[in-house]
Amino acid sequence: MLTGINKIGDLEWEVPIGYVPDMRVPGRFFLSRRLAETLEEGAVRQLANVATLPGIVKHSLAMPDIHWGYGFPIGGVAAFDMTEGVISPGGVGFDINCGVRLITTPLIEADLAGKKRELIERLFDAVPTGVGAKSAMRISNKDLTAVMVDGARWAVERGLGTEADLVRCEGEGAMPGADPGAVSAKARQRGLPQLGTLGAGNHFLEVQAAREIVDPEAAKAFGIAEGQVCFMVHCGSRGLGHQVATDHLRTLEGALPKYGIRLPDRQLACAPIDSPEGRAYYGGMVSAANYAWANRQVIMHEARKVFAHLFGIDYDEMRLIYDVAHNVAKFERHDVDGVSTEVCVHRKGATRAFGPGTPGVPGEYAAVGQPVIIPGSMGTSSYLLHGTTTAMQKTWGSTCHGAGRVLSRSKAKKEIRGKELRERLAGEGILVRAHSDSVLAEEAPDVYKPSGEVVRVVHEAGLSNVVARLDPLGVIKG
Amino acid sequence: MSFEELEHTADVLMRVRGADLAELFAEAGRAMFHVMYGPCEDKGVERRIEIEAENLESLLIDYLSELLFVTEVENTVFCTFDVDLRGTRLSAVLRGEPFDPARHSAGALIKGISYFGLEIVKEEEGYVVEIIFDI
Repeated sequence: MLTGINKIGDLEWEVPIGYVPDMRVPGRFFLSRRLAETLEEGAVRQLANVATLPGIVKHSLAMPDIHWGYGFPIGGVAAFDMTEGVISPGGVGFDINCGVRLITTPLIEADLAGKKRELIERLFDAVPTGVGAKSAMRISNKDLTAVMVDGARWAVERGLGTEADLVRCEGEGAMPGADPGAVSAKARQRGLPQLGTLGAGNHFLEVQAAREIVDPEAAKAFGIAEGQVCFMVHCGSRGLGHQVATDHLRTLEGALPKYGIRLPDRQLACAPIDSPEGRAYYGGMVSAANYAWANRQVIMHEARKVFAHLFGIDYDEMRLIYDVAHNVAKFERHDVDGVSTEVCVHRKGATRAFGPGTPGVPGEYAAVGQPVIIPGSMGTSSYLLHGTTTAMQKTWGSTCHGAGRVLSRSKAKKEIRGKELRERLAGEGILVRAHSDSVLAEEAPDVYKPSGEVVRVVHEAGLSNVVARLDPLGVIKG
Repeated sequence: MSFEELEHTADVLMRVRGADLAELFAEAGRAMFHVMYGPCEDKGVERRIEIEAENLESLLIDYLSELLFVTEVENTVFCTFDVDLRGTRLSAVLRGEPFDPARHSAGALIKGISYFGLEIVKEEEGYVVEIIFDI
C-alpha cells in the first residue's frame, strides 16, 4: 500500500497538498482496497502533478481504472477555470476522442448458431483494421474539412446512418468550435485515407450478448433486453488526431515561458484557455474529435450492412444506444460552490456520466441519465451503465472508461501465446479475428484489471450505476 | 549500440543507448520501428529527412514524430537510420522496404512520443535516453 495518501471513504482516497511540490488543490481518487493493491506510485504522482496546473478547480481526480500514463494519469479528470485555467493535450492524450459506441440488433444468441464464424470474417473484411489500414472511402480535402466541423452528421448526410443515430451520440456526434485551420497539412494527409478504419492496439469491434439486465427500468429506456445480440465499436481519431496532438503539444511546450508556467512534467504542456495557443489547440482538438465521431459512424454503418445482409434484418432495426468519448476536453457547466459555472473539463481515459435531468442528455434518456459504456478487455464482460447525480457532484459528471492494464505488453508477450489464447477463447465460444496472433497476447484478458471489479467500484461509489452486462461472442482486432 | 524494452503497464518504454548522439538518434529510430513492425529489410526504399529544434530532447521528439508521419503516409518500414547531427540540426537517410501486411502486422501502432521523463543523459560510454511510446 502506498504511503502519504489518506482514505476518506469506503472507496474514496485523498492525495493531500504537498504530495508533490506546488499542488494547488488536493487529489482525489476512487478505488477498492483490492484495486489499491495494484496502484502504481507513478500514477498517484501524475494525479498530484495535475493538481499543480494553473486554474484547476476543487480537485485533481482519477477514476478506479487509474494507471500510470504520461501527463495526466489514465483515468484522470480535472476541471479548469475559464479565466485562470489552462487547456492541455496531456489531459486528453494522443488519441483524441477515443471512444465507444454500442448498438443493439433484433437477434438473439441462437440466431447466430452456425453463422458466427462467417459473421466475424465478414466484419473483418468490411472494416479495415490494424497498422497500415486504409479506408475504401475516397474523400477530398473539402470533405475532410466538413468531417472536422460536422462530425457524425457528415456521415449521416451521406446515407451512412440515420438522424436518430445523431441524437444518441454525446454532443450529437460533434463538438462546436472546430477550427480546421488549426489542423496541419500533415494531420490532413494522415486523416484522408483513414476514415472508417478501426486502427490497432486495444481498439476493436465486438459482437456481444446482453446476458444480464441489472436495472430493468433503465434497460427499457435504453432499449436493451436480456439475450439480445449487440455490437460495440471502440476506436478514435486515428492518425489525424495523433498528429493534431503531436503538433499542438510541441507549440504549447514552446509557449510555456511566455505564460510563466512551470511544470513538473513537460507532457503537461498547456496554455491559458483563452490564449492564441490554447484556442488553437482547442479548435484542432475539436476537429479531431469530430473526425472520430464520423469514424465510428462509418464503421457502425459498415457493420450494420454486414448484419443486415447475413441475417436478413433491417438496417433500422439496429439501434445505436449511445456513443461516448473518453479522451477529450470540453467546456461544460457544473455546480461550483452552489453556482452554475462554465469550466473546461479534461477527461483522459474517463467517460462523461451526466446524471438524470442534466442538459446534454438525450430527451429519451433524461429520466435515467446518460448511457455510459465500459468496454471489457477481449474475452471479458463489457457494461452498460447510466450517469448519476453523485457523479455530477463529485467528478464533474465523470466515471471510468475501461478496466485498466496491470501487466506490461512486454511481459504479456513473454507469458501469453497469442495462438493459445485464440484457441482458449474459441473454446469459450469467443471467436477472435486479427491480422496476427501476437497482437492478441498484448491485449489478453489477463493483462487488464478485472472489468467487473472496476465497474463494481464506480457502481458502489455512485459515479454510475450498472444497467446491463454484455459478454463477448466474437471480436475483430487491429 | 542498443535498445531494450523496460517494464511499463500502459505503453512501451524503451531504453536506448548510443556511443555518440548520432548513434543514439539512429537507435531510437530502430527501436521505434521494432515496436511498430518487427522484422524489416533494406530493400532499396530510401528517404531523407531534415529537422531542426531548439534543444536535443525536442529534436529527438520531432525526429521520431516525423518518422511516424512518414511511415504512415508513405507506407514504408525503415530499418537503417544514417543520422548526421550538427548541434540541434539533424539530417537522416532512412532505408527500408514497402509496408507488407503479411510481414509487418505483428507490432503495435504508436500514437505519439511522450515528453514524460524524456532526458538525454551523457554517461561514461556514451548517451542513454528512455522514451515512452504511446500505443
